[in-house]
Amino acid sequence: MARILIPTPLRQFAEKNDTVELPGATVGEVLGALTAKYPDLKKNLYNDEGKLRSFVNVYLNDEDIRYTGKDATAVVDSDVLSIVPSIAGGKNVR
Amino acid sequence: MVHIERAPWREMVNHAQAVYPNECCGAMIGTIDGDKKVVTVAMMLDNVSQGSQAARYELRPEDLLKADREARTRGLDLIGIYHSHPDCGAYFSETDLKNSCPWYSFVVLSVQNGSFDHANSWLPNAEQTHAEKEELTWPES
Ligand SMILES: [Zn+2]
Repeated sequence: MARILIPTPLRQFAEKNDTVELPGATVGEVLGALTAKYPDLKKNLYNDEGKLRSFVNVYLNDEDIRYTGKDATAVVDSDVLSIVPSIAGGKNVR
Repeated sequence: MVHIERAPWREMVNHAQAVYPNECCGAMIGTIDGDKKVVTVAMMLDNVSQGSQAARYELRPEDLLKADREARTRGLDLIGIYHSHPDCGAYFSETDLKNSCPWYSFVVLSVQNGSFDHANSWLPNAEQTHAEKEELTWPES
């Protein structure tokens, strides 16, 4: 079972859990199990085309899955998945 | 609504003034009770924008991950992100909106001529098309 850390604002869609343990051999399988268990999480993480929203990054332990094989990244017991947003900005330039 | 306690508020203002005329950024950690969020800890984070930092900020996701872990360790929650606008108002800009995330409160501090002027908190939507202003208080507000 992999552990998934749920960001505070999303816990309301995961029965108030801050951590969820779910089975899966890959990141894709674990995330699939997560959104199957908590369908309301899905629209927060995925857009209408079923892709992770542009600001959503998934980390397996300390690594961004974008650089480790994305959804196909292998997951073993004791692995920790984190959901981390991309955030940037800047004032209007006149 | 968001209330920022004295110690983190000082740190945020000092941070914004120290990096002026550039934009600063950081994480706000604290407690959430219904829709009342109280910031008890401010974490200064690096602005890693490759563009002009006078008009851009960017957080490393790894730093945000660290902030979230720090919050969990302390039994607190990651409430939001703060950043500064040097020499302009504390609005939520088009750039802020396009690079935002709807899960957190975004506090913007306006710094005019190197000194803190005013601040607002914003809640962007998931489509990144609109940000709602949120009540914000701090000790001197
Ligand atoms: Zn901004």
